[in-house]
Amino acid sequence: MKVSVECVGCGQCAAYCSFDAIIIFGRASMNENCIECGECVKYCPLSAITESI
Amino acid sequence: MKAVIIGAGLGGLLAGAKLTKAGYDVEIFERLPFIGGRFTNLPYKGFKLSTGALHMIPHGSRGPLAQMLKEVGANVTIIDSNPIAVIRKENNEIIAFHDFRNELSLTKQVKLGTVLSYSRKFKPRSEISFRDWVLKYFDDEFLFKLADSFCGWALSLKAKDVPAREMLEIIDNMYLYKGSGIPLGGCSAVTDALSGIIRSNDGRIHTQSNVERIIIDNDMAKRVIVNKKTIDADIVISDIGHFETSRLYESEDLEYSDKISNVKPSKGIKICLSSDEQLIGHSGVFFTPYAQRINGINEVTNADPSLAPPGKHLVMSHQTLISDDLEAEINLGLLDLQQLFPGKEYDVLLIQSYSNGWPVNRASSGNDNGNRTPVENLYIVGDGAKGKGGIEVEGVALGVRNVMAEIGVS
Repeated sequence: MKVSVECVGCGQCAAYCSFDAIIIFGRASMNENCIECGECVKYCPLSAITESI
Repeated sequence: MKAVIIGAGLGGLLAGAKLTKAGYDVEIFERLPFIGGRFTNLPYKGFKLSTGALHMIPHGSRGPLAQMLKEVGANVTIIDSNPIAVIRKENNEIIAFHDFRNELSLTKQVKLGTVLSYSRKFKPRSEISFRDWVLKYFDDEFLFKLADSFCGWALSLKAKDVPAREMLEIIDNMYLYKGSGIPLGGCSAVTDALSGIIRSNDGRIHTQSNVERIIIDNDMAKRVIVNKKTIDADIVISDIGHFETSRLYESEDLEYSDKISNVKPSKGIKICLSSDEQLIGHSGVFFTPYAQRINGINEVTNADPSLAPPGKHLVMSHQTLISDDLEAEINLGLLDLQQLFPGKEYDVLLIQSYSNGWPVNRASSGNDNGNRTPVENLYIVGDGAKGKGGIEVEGVALGVRNVMAEIGVS
């Protein structure tokens, strides 16, 4: 998943991620657990997450 | 009468509950998959964290929000905090909030009484900030630090960025309503109760529904376009702030456009901690005027243990953002926590930051632009249009009350 500069780090995506794949520290970033399921996309209030491809 | 509401945050839901009770046909559109905006629970590792607010209602069971919840019949238990708040002094000693005067010299205590009662009656008309207002009467480091700690916790601003006028309105409300309280079940107890009322009065709430356009005809909002569908409306209430709303229609009112594009949101960082033992020991606010960054902390599990797994406490700190270096600001906050609770064991659960398009408040306190727009039947509610002297969600409730008065709903 790609995270744009719009991300402020609210953490909603991390809470709804089933794979413990999102780290929040001022902004969101995905770790190696991410399987690109895309579930996080809809929980972002700023539409800051998109598919990598 | 058909009311369309954009956004199912606290403002949209309060407006929706009031309007369905008054017989309006209400339809709410929320872009996210869940309702409540920045005032609902965020389930995380067995804890009930929150999407925004720190599970706290600033004026507790007697404040404007509690009052409005009663009016619409929302069944929410608000546990008033006792003590309301404490202050951690420089020497680590903890004192009750209302005893802060005792930290001043006797002369200053007398002066504070006089200045406060005069200024509450005759509020400054100028743009003087709360910091400069304090400085005008007192040269006192403790008062400056306390002012920053309070403004940082309650408004996510430095005292120099809060108009004194607004702060004196807040002080009035503190005398009037007292505070604070924790809703049993957390923030979502409030927003879920409101959605229950809306639905039981035949109102509809749609999630994952993005309002793309507001259609204006003869200076009136006539329709909205949602997920490519057209919905007719007699009145439109937007809970997404003035600026975001203005992007949904064309307006030629340049003065309004100018005014709303200059509004600065307030920014902040919340650090959520898990602890086996109590760090604070009550559910009131723990003000930290001598910490580098953290303004205050609460431990909500003292009011509602269900907000954490059995045997755990949920502790949340708040700090306003001082610089644009978010990572450095977070690190200073984490360092503060180590120094505030030396030798205590806790885990950092989640660090949440709020700014720009998803801020603490869409309009920082004292800079709200009212609830009206250039379109007669289009109103703004929420934290971008708070009522005077309303801290956070209390301001949201006061703003909704203003809109209801405008459209004649009691």
